[in-house]
Amino acid sequence: ATTAMAKLILLCLKFVTLCGSIGAVFEDQVGKFDWRQQYVGKVRFSHFDTHVQSSKKVLVATENNVFAALNTRTGDLFWRHVDKTGPEGSIDALLQHGQDAVLVVGNGRLLRSWDINVGGLNWEIVLDSGSFQAACLSGQQDNVKHVAVLKKTVISLHYLSNGHQKWIENLPESETVDYQAVYSGGNGEVYALGVVPHSHIAIVVYSADDGEIIKQVSVEAPWLSNIQGSCAVISQGMLTCVDPAAVSLYMLDLHAESQMTQVPLQSLGLEVVPGFRPVLVSTQPNPAQQPLSEFFVQLGPENYVLLQLNNGQIVTLRDFKPAMLVSFVTAGEKTVAAVMSPKNKTVNQSDTSNENDHFLTTACSINLFSAETGRRLLDTTMIYSLDPNVGKPEKLYVQAFLKKDDAVGYRVMVHSEDHALSFLQQPGRVMWTREEALSDVVTMEMVDLPLTGTQAELEGEFGKKADGLMSMVLKRLSSQLILLQAWIAHLWKLFYDARKPRSQVKNDVTIENLSRDEFNLQKMMVMVTASGKLFGIDSKTGSILWKHYLEDVPSNAAFKLMVQRTTAHFPHPPQCSLIIKDKDTGLATLHVFNPIFGKKSHVTPPALPQPILQSLMLPLMDQDYAKVLLLVDDQYKVSAFPSTKNVLQQLQEMASSIFFFLIDSSQGRLSGYRLRTDLSTELIWEVVIPTEVQKIVSVKGKRPNEHVHSQGRVMGDRSVLYKYLNPNLLALVTESTDQHQERSFIGIILIDGVTGRIIHEAVQRKAKGPVHVVHSENWVVYEYWSTKSRRNEFSVIELYEGMELYNSTVFSSLDRPHAPQVLQQSYIFPSAISTMEATLTEKGITSRHLLIGLPSGGILSLPKMFLDPRRPEMVSEQSREENLIPYAPELLIRTEWFINYNQTVSRVRGIYTAPSGLESTCLVVAYGLDIYQTRVYPSKQFDVLKDDYDYMLISSVLFALFFATMISKRLAEVKLLNRAWR
Amino acid sequence: MASPGRQGGGGGGGALSTRGGSGARRMKWALELSLGNTRSRGDRQGGQGDVVYPIGYSEKPVPDTSIQETDKNLVEKRCWDVALGPLKQIPMNLFIMYMSGNTISIFPIMMVCMMAWRPIQALMSMSATFKLLESSSQQWLQGLVYLVGNLLGSALAIYKCQSMGLLPTHSSDWLAFIEPPQRMEILGGGMVL
Repeated sequence: ATTAMAKLILLCLKFVTLCGSIGAVFEDQVGKFDWRQQYVGKVRFSHFDTHVQSSKKVLVATENNVFAALNTRTGDLFWRHVDKTGPEGSIDALLQHGQDAVLVVGNGRLLRSWDINVGGLNWEIVLDSGSFQAACLSGQQDNVKHVAVLKKTVISLHYLSNGHQKWIENLPESETVDYQAVYSGGNGEVYALGVVPHSHIAIVVYSADDGEIIKQVSVEAPWLSNIQGSCAVISQGMLTCVDPAAVSLYMLDLHAESQMTQVPLQSLGLEVVPGFRPVLVSTQPNPAQQPLSEFFVQLGPENYVLLQLNNGQIVTLRDFKPAMLVSFVTAGEKTVAAVMSPKNKTVNQSDTSNENDHFLTTACSINLFSAETGRRLLDTTMIYSLDPNVGKPEKLYVQAFLKKDDAVGYRVMVHSEDHALSFLQQPGRVMWTREEALSDVVTMEMVDLPLTGTQAELEGEFGKKADGLMSMVLKRLSSQLILLQAWIAHLWKLFYDARKPRSQVKNDVTIENLSRDEFNLQKMMVMVTASGKLFGIDSKTGSILWKHYLEDVPSNAAFKLMVQRTTAHFPHPPQCSLIIKDKDTGLATLHVFNPIFGKKSHVTPPALPQPILQSLMLPLMDQDYAKVLLLVDDQYKVSAFPSTKNVLQQLQEMASSIFFFLIDSSQGRLSGYRLRTDLSTELIWEVVIPTEVQKIVSVKGKRPNEHVHSQGRVMGDRSVLYKYLNPNLLALVTESTDQHQERSFIGIILIDGVTGRIIHEAVQRKAKGPVHVVHSENWVVYEYWSTKSRRNEFSVIELYEGMELYNSTVFSSLDRPHAPQVLQQSYIFPSAISTMEATLTEKGITSRHLLIGLPSGGILSLPKMFLDPRRPEMVSEQSREENLIPYAPELLIRTEWFINYNQTVSRVRGIYTAPSGLESTCLVVAYGLDIYQTRVYPSKQFDVLKDDYDYMLISSVLFALFFATMISKRLAEVKLLNRAWR
Repeated sequence: MASPGRQGGGGGGGALSTRGGSGARRMKWALELSLGNTRSRGDRQGGQGDVVYPIGYSEKPVPDTSIQETDKNLVEKRCWDVALGPLKQIPMNLFIMYMSGNTISIFPIMMVCMMAWRPIQALMSMSATFKLLESSSQQWLQGLVYLVGNLLGSALAIYKCQSMGLLPTHSSDWLAFIEPPQRMEILGGGMVL
C-alpha cells in the first residue's frame, strides 16, 4: 500500500507540474497589461493636516470604513487602512490633534490613534460597551491632552498620548435623558449635553481632572428634540439652538444657571425660507480654547447668514444670498469663512416641468470672508466650473495657509453628491479629481470599441434614416471616402511614430482617438455605481473617458445593465440600456445611452408606469440592429423596447418560443411563463420552496455570450462522453433558515427554466453560506462553509448526456426524454472566498479557469481541471490517457496562481470576465473597493508570439539566408557557364 | 611507338592540328586521325594518354539484343520474383511493426509512412510493372499476386495506423466537427429586481 501511495503522490506531483499552466508575470511585465486603482469611498470626515505648514496630507474617513491620507498635490494615497465592513468597522468620529488622529470605530467599540505622517497605529483601546454618541478633544491652558467619549450611559476621558482611561463616570438619569453632545471649552471642564425630548435640556459638567460632577443643570426647552441637529456652542460657552417652529434662536450660558433667552430671527431682520429647517454652523479652531463667537445660520437652501455674538447681542455681519456651501477655516490665528455661491445660471430648457430645478448652475465662485468682520478678502476668488455630468457640490473642505505677506491663501476640496472629490487651487484650477463612486461598482459591461474614431463620429450622420436611392449612394460613398482618409491618416501616423523613439510616443487615450486594436484587447468598461454615476473607462489604461451622473437615483436602487447594440452595426451607434428600479415603489426608469461616449441616446425610452419585475434581452433585432428588450411588469404583461411594428411582428411569430422565469425570494416562489402573441403571458409552471425551511439566495443561468467549442469529453478509450449543454438550465442556491450549525444546510437545485423540470437536486448538510456559485458549460461549481468540519469546501457538479447525443442539431427543453448523468465531487479549500467567476474566451476552445477573489486581496486563477468530478481515486490506464489528476481532497493555493501578484485588491465584490479577439486571452476586471484590470491566458498564449520574441535575430537570419541564396545562385550560374566553356 | 600525347607534338601525317606551343592556349577543336596501334581496354583506362579511336567507335557497350533467345524459364522466374516481391516484404514489415511499438513519435511515424507509401507507390506504377510482366505467360496471375501483395502491405500499414490510433475511427475523432445545437427556446428572467 505504501508503494501505491508513493506512486500516487509522484503522479500527483507530475500532474501538478504539468498543469502549472499559468506562469506568473515576469518582473518587466508588471503593470504592462494590468492596472489597479485604489479608492476610499464616500467621505464622511475629512481634516487637512495643519500641524506642519507645508503639509501635503488630507485625512479622510469614509463610509466604507476606510481611513486614509491623500496627497493634496496629486490626489494619490499616502496610506490607507481598510477596516471591517459593516457597522463593526464604521468610523463614528475623527478628531485630529497635531500629528495624531483619533478615531472612534465600530459604534464606540474601539478608540484608535494613528500617526498621520506614516499612517502607523499609535495605540488602540477597547471601550466599554454602549452606543456611541459624541467625542471631543479636551484641553487645558492651550494644551490638549485628553479625548472625551460620550456614550449612551457613560462618559469617559482618555489620555491622548497612550489612550489610557483617565476616568469613567456614569451619566445621571441616563434612562430618561438622551445625551447627545459633549463639549469642552479649554477650562478644565467637560460638558455632557443631553435632552429629554420636548421637555428640557440636561447639562452635566465634569471636572477634567477627576471626573467629579461640578454642576448639574436642567433647563426647560419644550421645543427641542435633538441637540445634534439644531444646537451649537459658540463664544464663551453659549449653547445656541435654533427652533424651526418659532423661527428663533435660543441661547443659554452654560456657565451661568439661567433660562434660555429667545431671539426671534425676525428681530434680526432674517427670514427663513418656508418649510426649511435652519442649521447652525460654528467653529472651534483650537479645542483648548473657546469657540469663536461668529457662526452661520442657514436660512434656506441657498441662503446663509454670518452672525456674531457680541456682548450678549447677536449682530448680523453679512447675508450671503445666494450661497450654496459655507465653511470656517483657520490659518494661524486668523479664521476665515469660505463661501461658495453659484456664479451664472442658465435656464435648463429640457427640464422645465420641474419648477425647482428651473435653473442650471454652470459655475460656482468661492470667496473668503473675514470671520470677524464679514468683509470679503481681496484676491481670494476661485471659480469652479460645474460639469453637467457631475453632481452638485455637497461639502467644502478648505485648507488655508498664510502667505509670506500674511495674507490668507487657500485650497478647497469639494465633495459632490456623486461622491467625487475635487481639489481646487486659485484661481479655479482643478488639481485632481477622485471618483470615489467607483469604490461601489454595482454592475459593469465591456463593450468593443468602434473601429476608428472617425467611424464613430460618422454614426451621428447615419442615425437619421435616409430616403431615396441617390442620397443613400452618396452617403455611402462619402462615408467610404472618409474611411479611406482615416485609414491613410492612420498609416501616416504609424509611419511617423515608428521613427520616433518609443519613449516619446505618448499613448494618451482620449475619446477622440479611441479605436479598436488588432486583437480587440482594448475595450470600453461601462461601470454602474451605487451612487447613480456611470463611468466609461478605457480598459487598457484605466483612464476615465466619460462620466454621467444620474440624479434622483434612490439609494437602494437595483440596476440591470444590458448592451442592446454593439459597435458591430456601424452606421448605428452602440446602445446600452440601464434599468434603475426603486425597490420601495417598484417603479423603474430606463436610461438609454451610448456606451462609447456616455451620451444619452436620442431614442426615447418607454414610459414605465407599472412596477417592473424583470427584463429579458432577446436575440431578436429590430431593423436598426438593436436587440429587443422585454420588460415584465407586475401584471405579468410584457412591453418591448424598441417597440416598432417590425419588432412586434417578430415577437408575434416568435412568441411561442419565448419563455421567462421569475423568482420571488420572499415567497420562495419560482414561476415560468410563456409569451402570448398579444404580449400577455401565461403561467406554465411553478415551484414553491417553503420559506419556513429554506430561502432562495441566488440563481445563476448561463452567460448568453458563452461559447462551448467541444460538445463532449474524450474518454480514455477514445469514446465520447457528451456534455449536457442545456442553455435553459438554472442553478438555484438555497440556504436553510435554521442557522444552527447542526441543522443548517444549503441546497443546489438545477432546474430547467423553460419546463420547470428539476434536473438535479443536491443538499449539503451541516453547511452554511454565503454560497458562491459559477454556472457554465455543463458544470456548476459552488463554495460553502462546512460547519461540521469547520472549513471552506468546493463542490462541483457536472452533467453529461451519456455516450450518445439525443439530438445533435437542435436543443429543445420540451423534448428531452432522458435525464442527464450527474457527477459530483467536493474538495477542501484553504481560504474563504469573496467572489468567484469563470474565464470566458471567444470560441471556448481555451481551457477554463476559475477566478477567485480572496478576502486577503488576492485573485486566484484556479484551473477548472482541478475541480473535475471525474478525477479518479485510483489511477488507471484510461484516466491517465484522459489526463485526469488523481483525486486529492485538498485544493492547494499556489502562489503563482495569483494573477494580481502584489497588487492587492481590497474587498473584491465582483469579477467580470470578457472575451478578447484572441482565443487565448480573457480580460478580467475585479471590482470592490479597488478596481483591478488584467488579462489571463488559461492555456498560455498559444496564439501569440512571446513578449521577448527575438524579431531582430529571426529577421536578420532570414535576410542573411535570402542574400546567401541569391549570391550562391549567381555564383553557381557563373560556375556552370565557365564549365560549359571549358 | 611513342604515342602522340595531347601536349605532345604532332604525330604522323594527315593529322590536322592547330596546336599552340604552350599548354595555356587550348584549341577549340582538334581532329586527329592517327593510325597508331589500337590499345587494349585496360591499357586505355590505366593510362592518361589519349587514345585515338576509329570514328564511330563507342566506349559504351552496345546492349545485347539477343535476349529473346535465352531460356523461357528464366523469364518466368524473373517475373515471379517481381510479382512476389511485395508479399516477401510482409514478414519484414511485421517485424518492423512489432519493433517500433505503438507510441506516437517521429520514428514509428516515419516507418508507418514508409510502409504505407511503398505499396501505394507500387500500385500507382502498376502499368509499368505489367509491362515488365508482359513477356510472361502467367502475366495475369502474376499481376494479381503483385496486386494482392501490395494491398496486403497497405492493409498492414492501415492496421498499424489503427493500432497507433491514427485512424479517425472513434467518435471522439469527429467531436470537433459537431456544431453546437441550435436552441429552440429563448429564456430570460431572474430574481425579481
